[in-house]
Amino acid sequence: METADLSHHISRRFNEDLERVRSKVLGMGGFVEQQLHKAITALVEGDSSLGEAVALDDQQVNNMEIAIDEECSRILATRAPAAGDLRVIVAIIKTITDLERIGDEGEKIGYIASRLATMERPADKYREIKHLGRVVSDMVHDALDAFARMDVESALRVARQDRLVDEEYEAIQRQSITFMMEDPRTIRRALDVMWVVRALERIGDHAKNISEYVIYMVHGKDIRHTSLDDVERELRGGTVDKQPNASA
Amino acid sequence: MEPATQVWWFAAGRLLATVLIGCGAGWLFGNPFGGLAIALALHLTWVLVNLVRLEWWLRHRNYADPPDIGGVWGEVISQIVRLHRRKRFHKQRFVQLMRQLQRSTAALPNGVVILNAQREIVWFNRMAARLLNLRRTGDLGMRIEHLLREPEFVRYLAKGDYSNPVVIRQSSADECYLSLQVAPYGDGQLLLLVSDVSRQMRLEAVRRDFVANASHELRSPLTVVSGYLETLGADGSLDPELRGPIAEMRRQAERMTAIIRDLLELSRLEETDEVVGGEPVDVAALAALLRKDVLARAVHPREVRVRIDSEARLLGDEPEIHSAFSNLVDNAAKYTPPEGSIEMRWWVDEDGGHFAVTDTGFGIPSEHIPRLTERFYRVDAGRARATGGSGLGLAIVKHVLQRHHGTLEVRSQLGSGSTFTCHFPLERVAATAPAVSAATA
Repeated sequence: METADLSHHISRRFNEDLERVRSKVLGMGGFVEQQLHKAITALVEGDSSLGEAVALDDQQVNNMEIAIDEECSRILATRAPAAGDLRVIVAIIKTITDLERIGDEGEKIGYIASRLATMERPADKYREIKHLGRVVSDMVHDALDAFARMDVESALRVARQDRLVDEEYEAIQRQSITFMMEDPRTIRRALDVMWVVRALERIGDHAKNISEYVIYMVHGKDIRHTSLDDVERELRGGTVDKQPNASA
Repeated sequence: MEPATQVWWFAAGRLLATVLIGCGAGWLFGNPFGGLAIALALHLTWVLVNLVRLEWWLRHRNYADPPDIGGVWGEVISQIVRLHRRKRFHKQRFVQLMRQLQRSTAALPNGVVILNAQREIVWFNRMAARLLNLRRTGDLGMRIEHLLREPEFVRYLAKGDYSNPVVIRQSSADECYLSLQVAPYGDGQLLLLVSDVSRQMRLEAVRRDFVANASHELRSPLTVVSGYLETLGADGSLDPELRGPIAEMRRQAERMTAIIRDLLELSRLEETDEVVGGEPVDVAALAALLRKDVLARAVHPREVRVRIDSEARLLGDEPEIHSAFSNLVDNAAKYTPPEGSIEMRWWVDEDGGHFAVTDTGFGIPSEHIPRLTERFYRVDAGRARATGGSGLGLAIVKHVLQRHHGTLEVRSQLGSGSTFTCHFPLERVAATAPAVSAATA
């Protein structure tokens, strides 16, 4: 659908450039998704070598970010895109920053997982973390899908889900505090678990950011720091009627 | 005469009659040309009216009946009707065929996606939509790797080597594994076949876990049994009649230990991914070590040669390479009579690195060669038991080689010996020093 949308562009080379960068971003997204999944698996299954591998592989995410960033600068400098194309580039530059941060949080989880693997495991086998991890991974996946499809509806859905993650975060925090008070010997582990949950919560925020860039890319509206209900009303009010990509 | 020709004669006759009647009527009134003109004008009007009716019907032919005109016009109309009917018949058959085809691909238990040369989605069936979470209309024209972002798949697509399928974990569902296979066709187009292999993967995992756990559980009781047998064997006050059976029991217990050790090693090899990178392994040193091991055996072939044609090192996991090579050398030593000889050879050429073990043993009948690397496969059950092998050695070799992207080649001549060659790809050979031919005996 993007190819059709961008086809009226003056230069075919430019379209190819844009498509290639988009492919790279989504490739990076796929890698980050896998890192996240591995990190959570390492934690839940107590696999220390997997956790270490995740922490090591984060370097690749950083390299991808640098490569895409350079390519974006090159496109900005040589093609001087305007309007919708400029928004695509800006959104990509922002998206890769968030992806890189997700990678960092994944690295953190992997590192903690390799440390927690040597400790005694709690009775619930980190069930809450597994569940929260599932929700957050889905958010990242859906945000990237929305990015690929330029799909505003899905992007809004992802942004809404962030509230759920925040609630879950609160709940696990309260539970951990209870554990710590019951048995001070678990404090060390509970603190590590809190770090992981905190990292997952941050990943949720980053996924939300990515979905906001999708809306920006398609509609040219910056919806950061606005309530989602307002955003939805506005989008439905005027702009959603016209083709999502008409402005590009 | 054919009816069509008849119709044309009739039409010509009618025109002639019109002209004659017009001329005649005009002659009566003293102006034959005026009469002719009027007659021709009437005739032309009639032709024009017919043409209008024909044209109107052609435009509305889907629901209007053909105009009821006789003569030449009727002939033309019936021809058109016939053509039209034939076209509709073909079209219907085509649509039907198309629908059947679509229904059958939709009913396929596997997902099918058609990609064009730019790897954009052109068409997919219902199963593919379900397995890959594709959207009916919106996803047509999307690049496949934008939606299927798993790094393994992206690498597989980029590599362009579609001989084997790739298995990925579907990220939006727990424990769902998909096998993806690309089949190129036509002008750069790709057919992507998707199947759900979660069940197979689960069964495989259960099997692996079972073998690993069972071997592990068997090991402790066996240690106790071997321990007591050892004490009994050393006991001088034992009835001499029991010495034989106890020695045999010890041998069998040792064999069982070997089997369990190999089973554990195999399940460990299966569990982990392929070896990436790896350390440079000094093949010459390894071969010298293996030679010493063979010479340390109670019964060993008279001659054990090592021939190193390359200084290049092999990139891999040292313990695994050692295990694979030592299994090959052990086999050679086991099946070669004391007067025979064994040769180990390591060389590098443009295809990669090669390690060969040649013996002058009994040889293997050719029908057994393809199945040699199966677990517990025996060429000769009686002899194998006597030599005390676990039956897993070559399976381990195969797995180690697979993890290093290598292959095992077996050549054998019954009665004169066998050669087992490990082929490693070039990327597994560390920066080559110039090949030096050195033979040690």
